[in-house]
This record gives sequence, structure tokens and C-alpha cells, in this order.
Amino acid sequence: MNLLIAIMVGVLFGSSAFLMLDRELKGVCMGVFLLGHGANLAILSVSGSPAGKMPPVLSHGVDIHTLVDPLPQALILTAIVIGFAVQAFLLTMIVITWRRNQTLSLHMLAEEEAH
Amino acid sequence: MTQHQIVLFVVLPMAAGIVTTFLHRYRQAQRWVGAGFLIANMVFAFKALATVAPTGAVLVSQMGNWLAPFGITIAVDTLSALMLTMASIVCFCVFLYCAFQFDRDQQGGFFHPMFHLLIMGVQWSFITGDFFNLFVAFEIMLMASYAIFCVGTSKKQMKQAYKYVLLNLLGSTMFVTCLGLIYGQLGTLNMADITRLAMDDKLPTSSLPVIAMMLLVFGGKTAIFPLWYWLPDTYHTLPSAIGGLFAGLLTKVGAYVMIRVFVMMFGTSTQVTDIIAPILLLTAGITMFLGVLGAVSMHTVRRILSIHIISQVGYMLMGMGLAIASGVAPDIKEMAVAGAIFFIMHNMVVKCCLFLCGGLMVEHAGDDDLEKIGGLLKRAPWLATLFMIAALSLAGLPPLSGFFGKWVLLSAGFQSEHYVVVFFAVLTSLFTLLSMLKIWSYGFWSPAQGKHVDQPKKRPMTIGGMWGIALLVIVALSMGLGAQKYYSMCAMAAKSLIDPTNYVKAVLGEQNTPEYKVVINEPTSQAQPMHHESHEPAANHDSHGH
Repeated sequence: MNLLIAIMVGVLFGSSAFLMLDRELKGVCMGVFLLGHGANLAILSVSGSPAGKMPPVLSHGVDIHTLVDPLPQALILTAIVIGFAVQAFLLTMIVITWRRNQTLSLHMLAEEEAH
Repeated sequence: MTQHQIVLFVVLPMAAGIVTTFLHRYRQAQRWVGAGFLIANMVFAFKALATVAPTGAVLVSQMGNWLAPFGITIAVDTLSALMLTMASIVCFCVFLYCAFQFDRDQQGGFFHPMFHLLIMGVQWSFITGDFFNLFVAFEIMLMASYAIFCVGTSKKQMKQAYKYVLLNLLGSTMFVTCLGLIYGQLGTLNMADITRLAMDDKLPTSSLPVIAMMLLVFGGKTAIFPLWYWLPDTYHTLPSAIGGLFAGLLTKVGAYVMIRVFVMMFGTSTQVTDIIAPILLLTAGITMFLGVLGAVSMHTVRRILSIHIISQVGYMLMGMGLAIASGVAPDIKEMAVAGAIFFIMHNMVVKCCLFLCGGLMVEHAGDDDLEKIGGLLKRAPWLATLFMIAALSLAGLPPLSGFFGKWVLLSAGFQSEHYVVVFFAVLTSLFTLLSMLKIWSYGFWSPAQGKHVDQPKKRPMTIGGMWGIALLVIVALSMGLGAQKYYSMCAMAAKSLIDPTNYVKAVLGEQNTPEYKVVINEPTSQAQPMHHESHEPAANHDSHGH
């Protein structure tokens, strides 16, 4: 399970790096979003393999070692909320840039500035 | 100040942010409410400093009364209190400038809430005792700064905004990944608890790469040598007041966090310092020297000042590097940290002051390109005076604040026999003077040559800005003339960072070795809610006897 998650994190990070090297702002932003997902998954793997473990709800006679560690999930939840806000902000920026320049290509934007 | 009042450092700016949001149609009200909150903030910061600085006490408050390391801790020690005090002064002065200097579209309704939320993020990162909360505080600070970046944007600013936002996003994502991995390795995210693990030499070897990775995260935020490329491009596009705020606070938050993490938390573990210290010392030399070379080569006031930020960060790194370098005597380590803290404080004030001066130069001369302006000495003699004091202070001439910061750092470097970095520090200092004199002689001294300077339309309204600058210069002067008093506080802070036993005890309590074992109570006759035996909230103590 951990190996699977590790591979997935690797794939997510890799594809986000690929996207971030894109020449369009859309691609760059998608890359950043994917990176966030990769990070969240990496944190999730920290709570260990859930195989054979119980949900983290305490009750009588439950051995603590059979429970999944809930803290990484709390961290991810916070990170998701923050990531959501940042994504909304970035998308707004893209919309504004499009309205002003009618292009999202980094090449064109750089050229425009040079003139 | 009692220990639970420290939460005000987060609550006050947040309240200010909320109130000013609702007042967004009434600019005058926003100004006065904002000023009121900022003054209150300053008063609380001074009170906190007066409480902790004389004795080196630590004010700790556990949120929701959940005991550390399980709950969220906020703590104010001497270092935090010093940072809070300086930050609150800087914020107030920048506010004075903004409130009276900005033209209408820059001041548009939602600038004020963002300003206060930025302060909230900054102060939160100064007081938090929990690593994950540091991330949240960073994010709040950064979100506010993204929004401020885009206030009344020009096209140029918008493009630089992308660079700033995307790089910071990358940094934040790396930070949160690091945090996750650190939790996986150490089983805790409480700063005091991690410090305890490091002191007991219980850090697993596998956690070292993650800790080293954090150098990359904070280094990016602080703009150290290989990671500084985003800063010179972005800061000079900002309106000067905002540039001053960012220069005075944001990179310094990074420096503060680096001291907190690498000196206090991991500074006691030789495993970590063996990796980090050489990197810090190396980058310190390169950062300060390359930064100042960049500054000398630039031609506009704001570009010179913004690239200068990088060079100054080098001195802070030098202090940190010396503090954790192997084979350095403890008293010299303390001296190095104290020097770094003093330097951060000095830099917050002076750098911000110079940015505000740069802003007023633009108001007077219509431009900040040194080739086009001149003759400001006659036109704005007071501005020239204040600029001169701040500039010489930055360069580090004797009776002024920069001198003492550098003096302590250099003598720590000499005594620990790190001559190379000392050499570069002295050289950098000379070039700093050169670059400041460049602004002085082109901008103020040379005859007027710009069209705005030749044919002034009307005298610009600079009263708010002048007060802000004057206040900052007074603080800078007091740091120079009363250096002993400031330095003894820094030394007190440094002492508790080099030997963090007090901090750990204050946060974790006396028993000092919390067990990560949760024991489930046997069912009792009354059906009671489950709780952790040894770490339950104190409020439950009455109802459940052990």
C-alpha cells in the first residue's frame, strides 16, 4: 500500500513538474494544483498502511495500536482548504490576465512587456 | 501581560481585518479604526516585551486547554517578543504612510483588511509553538500579500505577481510535504517537543533529509543565495509603502523561522548542524556579497533597495551559521545569535524606512530612476536628513544601529576563526556604503534634472509619510545610541535559544517526557466519555479522578 502511494506521489509530482514547464499559464497553474494533491497524498501515507486497522474512534477495550493515526488526515484537511483558496485566487488572476491581454501564453506576455 | 493574553496578537489584527472589511465604503473610518488597532497592537507588544525580556520567562498558552504536545501551543519568549515589538512599530509606520499617501485606486476599499490580515499572519508566525500552525500562519500571510500585490495593479506588477505567487505556492507545498514527513519521522509537530527530541539525541537518521529540505523552504522565503531570484524582480514593482512592509516583515519572518528551527529546535543535535552549518555559512558569504554587487549595479532607488534586502539577509545567515557551527564555544554561539537577532531588528526598521524614503522621493521627483532625478536636498531637506541617517545606519557607521549588529557578528566570526565569511562581511559593508552614497549623491545632491523636479506642479502631501519615516528613524537611532539595552535583550533571547531547556519546560510542563501511549479507561459504573489518561484537558480533572 505504501509503495503504491509512493509511486502515485512520484507520478503526481512528476506530471506537475511537467505541467509547470508549460508555456501557457493554464498549464502552469494546473501543475501547481496537482503538486498540492501530490503533497496531500504524501502526508496521507504518513499515517501508515490502513490494512487491518480500525477507524480512529476510541471506545472501551480498543487497543490504540489498532487505530489509524488521524492527525495526518487533519493536516490534509487544512491543507486542502488552504489550497482551495489559493487555487481560486490563481484562477481569478488568470481571468484578469486574459481580459487584459487576450493571451495566456507566457511567451506573448513577456514579449508584450518588452515593447 | 498574563500568559493567555498573547492570543491577542492574532485576535487583534484579525478583528481589525474583519471590522475594516465591513467598513470598506468608509475610508476615513477604516483609517482611524486601523490606526486604533495598530496602536493597541503596539502597546500589547511592548507589554509582552516588558514581561518576558527582564527574566527570560516564556508566556505559554495552550489553545482549548489541550496539553502540549497534543494541542496547539502558542508561546512568546524573548525572541518572539522582540520580533513582535519591532514588527508592530514597522506596521504602524507603514500604515501612517499608506493611509495618507496612497492615491485613490491603490487605497480601494479592501486594501485595509488585507493589510491587517497580513499583520495577523506575521504575528501568528512569531508566536506559534506548533509547526503546522506555522504553515497556516505563513499561508495567511502569503494570501494577504498576494492580494496586496494585486491591489491597483499595473500590467508589469501583474506579471511579477505571477512569479511571486507561483514560487511561494511551490514553497508552501514543499513546506507542507516536509511537515507531513517530519510528523511521520518524529511523531510530533510541537516545536518544544521536537526540540526535546533533538536535545535527547533521539532524531532518527532518516529525518535528516527532511530537515535539510526545510532549509530550501525557508531559504526561498528568506531569499538566500541560490533561491533569491524572485525577490529583486518583484519588490520594486510594488508601491513603495507595500514594498517597505514586505521588505521589513516578510523576509524577516523567514529569518526568524530559520533561527527558531535551525538554532533552537535542531541546533542541539550535532547530526543536523553538521549538515546545515556549513551550508549556512557558505550561502551567507555568497548571499551578502552577490546581493550588494547587484545593488551597486542598479540604477533605480527601489531596485537598489530591494536587491539590498538579499545582501542583508546574508548577515543574519552568518549569525545563524556561527551559532550552530561545530567547535564554537557556547558564549560565542550566544553572541552570534544575539548579533543575528539584533541585526534582524535593525534591518526591519531601517529597510522599511529606506523604502518609505524611496516612495517619498518618487512623490517629490516623479520618478526613482537615478539618472533622471536630482536636487532633492533643496526640495525636501528633512527627507534628505532622514534618508541619510537611515542609509548610514544600513551601511553600519559607528553610532548607528547597523554598526552594532555587524560589530557583534564580526567579532563572533573572528573569535570562532571563520575568517572568510568575516572578510566578505566587511567587504559587503563597504559596498553597502557605496550603494547608499549612490542614491544620496544622484538623488539628493546632484543638481535637479528631471522634468518633475525642474517644474514642480505643487508640493506633494507627504506629512503622513514623513511621520512614519521619522518614527522609524527615531527607533533606529535609539537602537544605535541605546545599543547596550537592546543588545542585552537580544543576548537574553539568544541564551534561551542556544539552551532551550526553559522553553521546552515552559511548553511541555515539568514532567518533560510525555508518553505517546493512550490508555483506555476501564468502564466504570457511570458511563463516562473516553479520555486520554495522562493528557486530557485540564478542565476534566475535576470529574475524573485517576
